[in-house]
Amino acid sequence: MKYDTVIIGGGLSGLVAGIALQKAGQNTAIISTGQNALHFFSGTFESLKGDEQRILDLFNEAGVRLHYSPGVRLTPMGTFKESALSLEDIDLFPSPKFARKVLIVNFTGYHDFFSSFLAEGLEKEGMSCRVRFLNLPELEQLQQSPSEMRSVQIARVMDRIWEKVIQEVRVLLKDEDAVVLPQVFGLQDASVPDRIRRGIPAHVVFAGTLPPSVPGIRTLILLKQRFQLLGGTYLMGDEVVRAHTHDGVVHSVATRNLDNHYIEASNFILCTGGYFSKGLVSNPFQVYEPIFGLDVAFNEDRNAWYNPAFREDQPYMSFGVKADEHLHAMEGGKALENLYVAGTLLGGTHPEFGTAAGLAIRTALHAADQILKNVQA
Amino acid sequence: MKLQEYTKSRHNFEECMKCTVCTAYCPVLQANPLYPGPKQAGPDGERLRLKDPYFFNQALKYCLNCKRCEVACPSGVHVADLIQSARIKYDHTPPKLRDTLLANTDFMGKMARPFAPIVNGVTGLGITKTILDATLKIDRHRTFPKYSAPGFEYWLGRHKKEQAAFPEQVAYFHGCYVNYNYPQLGKDLVKVLNALGVGVQLLEKEKCCGIALITNGMSAQARKHAEHNVAQLRQAVLDKGLKVLTTSSTCTLTMRDEYPNLLGVDNADVRESLLMATRFIFEKLEKGATLKFKADYHKKIAYHVPCHLEKLGWGIFSVKLLSMIPGVEFILLDSNCCGISGTYGFKKENYEVSQAIGAPLFAQIKSVNPDVVACDCETCKWQIEMSTGYTVMNPISILAEAIE
Amino acid sequence: MNANEFDVIIIGGGITGAGTQRDCAMRGLRTLLIERSDIATGATGRNHGLLHSGARYAVNDAESARECIEENMILRRIASHCIDETNGLFITLPEDDLAYQQTFVESCLKSGINAEIIDPDLARRLEPSVNPELIGAVKVPDGSVDPFRLCAANMLDAKLHGGQVRLHTEVTGFIKEGDTIKGVHTHNHQNGEDVDYYAPVTVNACGIWGQHIAQMAGVHVGMFPAKGALLIFAHRVNNLVINRCRKPSNADILVPGDTVCIIGTTSTRIPFEECDNVAVTPDEVTLLITEGAKLAPSLSQTRILRAYAGVRPLVSADDDPSGRNISRGIVCLDHEVRDGLKGFVTITGGKLMTYRLMAEMATDVVCRKLGVEKACETAQVPLPGSEEPSYEEVAKKIWESPTMAQKAAAARMGTRAARIRTGDRRDEALICECEEVSVGEINAAIDRLEVSTLTDLRRRTRVGMGTCQGEFCACRAAGLLAKAHGCVARERADLEDFLQERWKGNFPIGWGDTLREAEYTQWVYKHVLGL
Repeated sequence: MKYDTVIIGGGLSGLVAGIALQKAGQNTAIISTGQNALHFFSGTFESLKGDEQRILDLFNEAGVRLHYSPGVRLTPMGTFKESALSLEDIDLFPSPKFARKVLIVNFTGYHDFFSSFLAEGLEKEGMSCRVRFLNLPELEQLQQSPSEMRSVQIARVMDRIWEKVIQEVRVLLKDEDAVVLPQVFGLQDASVPDRIRRGIPAHVVFAGTLPPSVPGIRTLILLKQRFQLLGGTYLMGDEVVRAHTHDGVVHSVATRNLDNHYIEASNFILCTGGYFSKGLVSNPFQVYEPIFGLDVAFNEDRNAWYNPAFREDQPYMSFGVKADEHLHAMEGGKALENLYVAGTLLGGTHPEFGTAAGLAIRTALHAADQILKNVQA
Repeated sequence: MKLQEYTKSRHNFEECMKCTVCTAYCPVLQANPLYPGPKQAGPDGERLRLKDPYFFNQALKYCLNCKRCEVACPSGVHVADLIQSARIKYDHTPPKLRDTLLANTDFMGKMARPFAPIVNGVTGLGITKTILDATLKIDRHRTFPKYSAPGFEYWLGRHKKEQAAFPEQVAYFHGCYVNYNYPQLGKDLVKVLNALGVGVQLLEKEKCCGIALITNGMSAQARKHAEHNVAQLRQAVLDKGLKVLTTSSTCTLTMRDEYPNLLGVDNADVRESLLMATRFIFEKLEKGATLKFKADYHKKIAYHVPCHLEKLGWGIFSVKLLSMIPGVEFILLDSNCCGISGTYGFKKENYEVSQAIGAPLFAQIKSVNPDVVACDCETCKWQIEMSTGYTVMNPISILAEAIE
Repeated sequence: MNANEFDVIIIGGGITGAGTQRDCAMRGLRTLLIERSDIATGATGRNHGLLHSGARYAVNDAESARECIEENMILRRIASHCIDETNGLFITLPEDDLAYQQTFVESCLKSGINAEIIDPDLARRLEPSVNPELIGAVKVPDGSVDPFRLCAANMLDAKLHGGQVRLHTEVTGFIKEGDTIKGVHTHNHQNGEDVDYYAPVTVNACGIWGQHIAQMAGVHVGMFPAKGALLIFAHRVNNLVINRCRKPSNADILVPGDTVCIIGTTSTRIPFEECDNVAVTPDEVTLLITEGAKLAPSLSQTRILRAYAGVRPLVSADDDPSGRNISRGIVCLDHEVRDGLKGFVTITGGKLMTYRLMAEMATDVVCRKLGVEKACETAQVPLPGSEEPSYEEVAKKIWESPTMAQKAAAARMGTRAARIRTGDRRDEALICECEEVSVGEINAAIDRLEVSTLTDLRRRTRVGMGTCQGEFCACRAAGLLAKAHGCVARERADLEDFLQERWKGNFPIGWGDTLREAEYTQWVYKHVLGL
């Protein structure tokens, strides 16, 4: 099989690069080992440096509505974090005190939404809080399974019964000017959060839950649909096991599922993420990149990988694959001319692109731009 | 090897990061609260079962073995293999008569086929269905696949000479379905391959791949089938130098992956030569072979990737083949399970769950309103046809129909 | 009588203290247990969890060996829900002297330990993970014991017999009148209160910290801290305890415990200042893996969950002030006889295995002082939860067809699992999915087992002890604790402490899947949850 560009890694970076390339007429395939970090997405891009409008457009075209409004978001633990860009259903407030009185609504038996922590956090900011629980018979089936009263399963039910939630919240609502609900709305039907907001006569804030993240999965579904509608190929559940590289050029890759059927391309983007998704692999002796054996910036002394304090930044999280300023991957000190690196795999070695979701998107766009520039030239 | 250079565990269960992604993609969890879910039944449960088999939970039988958890897992954990292995290892409840009958697809086929018109008539009768429902707990909504009187093996036997005349040869593992129920699919494959200059042979004597035996708790019998079939594959692949093609995604997955992973039957020397026919044809075309398509062929085709093909990662070949047919309007359906999963949906106790699982797929098919649904799996075909009324065709049959 | 007056005060919430409180309470005394942090935080909870048959001591220390096998048999009777009757192997590897096996078996038999030489082939069949190169094997009645559960069960029984418990409460000084200890000054680390408690007898059961307590009381007990490091592997690779059949040495015991297995230990003398914060060094980790892989080769490729270390309370023999002469046996000191200090008893030395016997000895002294004549019953009466012989029996009596989570609860709680069958489905919801801990079990622990923090809860329920090390369950459980204690701000800090405590055991072995998990946990708590 031949493609113009093959992207290894199907998370946020891979999808953004894929959409950008496919839009520009590049025949693109994404190979993804499994599902990805969008399942743990907070819904906000905490550090984004530039390209805001382009990113807004790219997501909007996919049906993922973002809004740019630098401020703070409410975290699931009732604290506030700075952010500039987020999904539309996730508020960014100019300052933490977003209301006078707040009604926090949870579902009976749901332990992944921290209503008491939220209340305490909001009260600390001078808002008075009331916590109430909804007891919905529609959730009883979930409760029969001791491990399935979880975000995604609830969201599936909420896609059906959101009108009922509006009614029930309206009954609970007294003189509060804001309502905080868990982010379990709009899994398949992206319009649900908006409908909830319109149905409740107070400002509705959706606060995060334990993963999987419902807004994250919704984002993933929409981006993937967009990529496929543009004609892209998404190979899910497959894994690149070998690469054929010659004279600083990658020719093809082999995957676990397609064994001896090599996938060829003119360009490759590697965005396989950090340790969690095995973009980087560690053992007691080293940190390495398992597919191409790329150069990795890491500390040889394992004692220096960790900060004994959990709350501090961990040095191992800043390790990453080495790349030049155009994001060409480095191998043996030399840049591979048609292999680009994007996302978390770069670690903290490219701070100019921001962190986490911001880094993922901006490096992906940068890599796609490089490819398109070379094609045009 | 240096100490701790890498770590490994059976079916990678220790690579599980407890991220719960698999639970979001399990079709059974959405429909059946009695099922503990892939994470609990798989890697979580495995640690307890290693402590004491007592912790084995009978509810693992609700797993469809659709492998969607494995496709979704970001960590490469063989979740479904863990669950099925646990069932093989720890569940010693003797299978029910009904399960034994359902599982022995080739035995049933052999017995029924000579009397095909009678059997088809009888199993189609309302009264028979009611009796099966009441006595064997086979759900009355189910239509038994019809048995075909002259089997595919017989048919190909009659065309042996002309097939041998082709310069290139492949062997065909037709499976129970093609032989006993739907020889037309086999004939369609022969037509397409012949058009590419390839002749088709049978294996000397194939047996049912055994998937139904595995899922119905008859692993010892399944292992015998596996050993027999691997020997047959070796004869074709190693002795005769042939590729072995299939038209059923489930038979393929079973023989390639379930044999070594669940039954402990090594197939490493033949595994790569066992291919879905769609992959073989695509690779042939990619290397320059051509098919001559009818000029006036027009069809709106909605393609459903069966779960096991998704696990194999080979849906792409069917997608590419179908979309290259001139005059085809191709729609790739969302990745969903149809709910039948072989014999699972035939069981009365699973009927409702089975239909609930399939509901999103059925709804999408109805909204797309295609001329035909394409799918590489025979049990998906029964399920989709029963639940939507749309005709389902194997991509190979569509190709056969579309070429001159 | 004043609410702060008791017959006996026991300082130290390790297994010795808890066992002593139970014994005293069962003999009708009004008891108070005071512990600076939580139960089982010292050597009690920081060892292998090996239910010694005594075989390890048979050659060199016949007395310890005899004590072990006797207590081993008693614990099987009275603590069924805390122990796992796995049996154990003593294997001889090609580099070991096979002649030692004969000496070993003879010594075992002399001490009453049923040691049986078995064919290496049989050993390989009984324990498939064992080093296949073994040239000799002896089967002994080793097993494993959950020290947290055992400690909690003793404390609970003491409470059921009227005992009182003050955890997170530190003894800051003694109330002394002339040559008599009359009571203690305490400071509660959680509510900040200072309270005095009075009793005619105080028992010092503080393990390695006993020297300090004795000093505070004005007497000297010479102790020597010896650090032992251990590693926890993420699942059970073995179902039989595996020991090396040779002179006891480093990292020569692999114990299957609950859902994990533990290799240990090392032995290093450390200064007293380090006792409160022992760290596992990279060299120790390497040694443990290297030696462990000789017992079970698969350990070299098995994921490691944690590294931890404990401090053994070694006591210098009383007639040797230099401290060179260490006693590994039980040391029970009546300071009135020894030092002329009335109302003060020290019980130390010994081992987890002999806690009950130690408690009996200490209680005998206490009773003698108080003039109480009631025989010890702790060897006969089962601990609360241990009234049935096995978890199968327990689960069968509570549930018609128990689920995996219910079976796991029965295995942890014993007969007390009946408490969690409330009929309310919401109590069945799982908080910790790795170890299958439900809301009901957590609430039962909060209700009866003196839980203040998440770490306390972990010791009593295994919440956060599984593969993910608290990734999801910690904040779920924090929600329950916040509700129970009515203080969210405290719980927020507690959650951070808990994660810090988990990380402390993770980073010394932070590579491979453990580092992946750590990265994910960082991501969840810092970025997603915003802790």
